[in-house]
Amino acid sequence: MSAWLKIKDLCVKVADKPILNDLSLSINAGEVHVIMGPNGCGKSTLSNVLCGNQNYEVTGGFIDFKDKNLLEMNVEERACAGIFLAFQHPVEIPGVSMATFMKYALNARRKAQGKQELDAVSFIKRIKVRAQALGISDEMLKRPVNVGFSGGEKKRLEIFQMAVLEPDFCILDEMDSGLDVDAVKVAGNGVKIMRSEQRSFLVISHNIRFLKEQIQPDKIHVMVHGRIVAQGGMELLDEIDKNGFSAFLKEAVA
Amino acid sequence: MIKTLSKQRLLTIDSGQSVVFFEKQLAPKTQITIAKNAHVKHYRLHEMTDHSLFVRLEDNASYELITLHRGDGNLTLYFDLSGKNAFCQSNIVYVLSENKNTLIHCDVHHNADDTVSRQFVKGAVCANAKAVFQGGIFIPYNKKGIDGMQQHRALLLGKNACAQAVPQLEIYADDVKCAHGSAIGFLDQEQMFYLQSRGLDEEQARTLLTTAFLNEILDDIEDDEVREELKSLALEEVCHGN
Ligand SMILES: Nc1ncnc2c1ncn2[C@@H]1O[C@H](COP(=O)(O)OP(=O)(O)OP(=O)(O)O)[C@@H](O)[C@H]1O
Ligand SMILES: [Mg+2]
Repeated sequence: MSAWLKIKDLCVKVADKPILNDLSLSINAGEVHVIMGPNGCGKSTLSNVLCGNQNYEVTGGFIDFKDKNLLEMNVEERACAGIFLAFQHPVEIPGVSMATFMKYALNARRKAQGKQELDAVSFIKRIKVRAQALGISDEMLKRPVNVGFSGGEKKRLEIFQMAVLEPDFCILDEMDSGLDVDAVKVAGNGVKIMRSEQRSFLVISHNIRFLKEQIQPDKIHVMVHGRIVAQGGMELLDEIDKNGFSAFLKEAVA
Repeated sequence: MIKTLSKQRLLTIDSGQSVVFFEKQLAPKTQITIAKNAHVKHYRLHEMTDHSLFVRLEDNASYELITLHRGDGNLTLYFDLSGKNAFCQSNIVYVLSENKNTLIHCDVHHNADDTVSRQFVKGAVCANAKAVFQGGIFIPYNKKGIDGMQQHRALLLGKNACAQAVPQLEIYADDVKCAHGSAIGFLDQEQMFYLQSRGLDEEQARTLLTTAFLNEILDDIEDDEVREELKSLALEEVCHGN
């Protein structure tokens, strides 16, 4: 199996400060990977770079996605190629309803795939079914994107967008944080349902129980100071649970 | 009663009447008198060169204006709240493409006690266009219970687009509440990134954010047909301007 996402020796600066240093990582089609690491180690930086956020300057290394140079693609081209980020801090878009937003987004992706735009009836059906499964009301879909929603509701709306757009590569940046116990299960279930041979996930989370019970990843990466310092299976989760990141921090310094 | 002269349109709304009207083909000058206890909602489209509107309100009269300005020329508005308790709301959306150049000059005169004025102006300036908004609020000595508010916001969408706000407050009375403000800036890059990260291209994202910004005013138009017409004319000008 060839890797879908190949990151090699990636170096990234933010506001002239190096954040990611020679980071390498690959993820195959259909796999679910997890990144764990202390606050500020660069996890959200990596997810932003994968989506093409121009505030982050790539100073070295490469990223390939499905054998194409991701770094040469602009933000919307990456989205249309199937990359999706559920944001840690989704931004508010006053005056644009979630339903309208999803119509534009879905049709952009379909256009890139050479498909016709969805007609109004199929579109409504598509969003209603997914909204219902995630406990999102019609009223929430009519409201402007993220405006005035609680932290947990915003996260749920990010998962909803993922379910509507059916991307190939989903990056979930702390999608479980701020969710209540039941919502965490709904979110986890969303991921379970969407798991397929033709869809990969990169899950960023600080919640070991969520990862063990809901996500059940294929591989865990530990990130410290903008670098992957350890990789392994579920056993790594137990180690982090017991000892925190201290052992990895020492390694990173040494 | 409407009198159309070659250059002037004179309107008088008789006391106690309530009217809503939509004006598309403007004469160079319009003058409206709203008699006691009369209420007017006025929607209009300004596409020509220079135009001026004078509105005089008598006791307890109200006037609510929503105007879309996409003309290449100056717009002059003059509101005379001459009757006690008069209320005037004048909301303006302006969209300028290409090399359009406009001066929006608006004076609100609180010439009677307990008068209230509200003004909300939002503009999108594209390409090489230039807009100047001069907003004045005048409150003479000895007037009581005055409440005035003026807000101006503009989005610069073109590389050479330019907008400027020149407020003029002349307040000689004490018993006054008066607030004003202006903000001129660019589209929020984080919002642009969020929309594009879902697949919208730059132009779609920009158009969506700009129309959302302008529609905050246009959405208050109660008549469906008028609202949709003005919204699509604003959108057309935004797309044309990119
Ligand atoms: N726009 C920015 N300007 C300046 N510094 C930034 C910016 N974005 C990120 N950083 C810095 O980069 C570092 C990595 O941030 P990042 O958000 O990637 O961390 P993280 O691993 O996601 O942390 P957390 O677990 O708290 O979400 C931090 O030190 C942060 O302060
Ligand atoms: Mg983060």
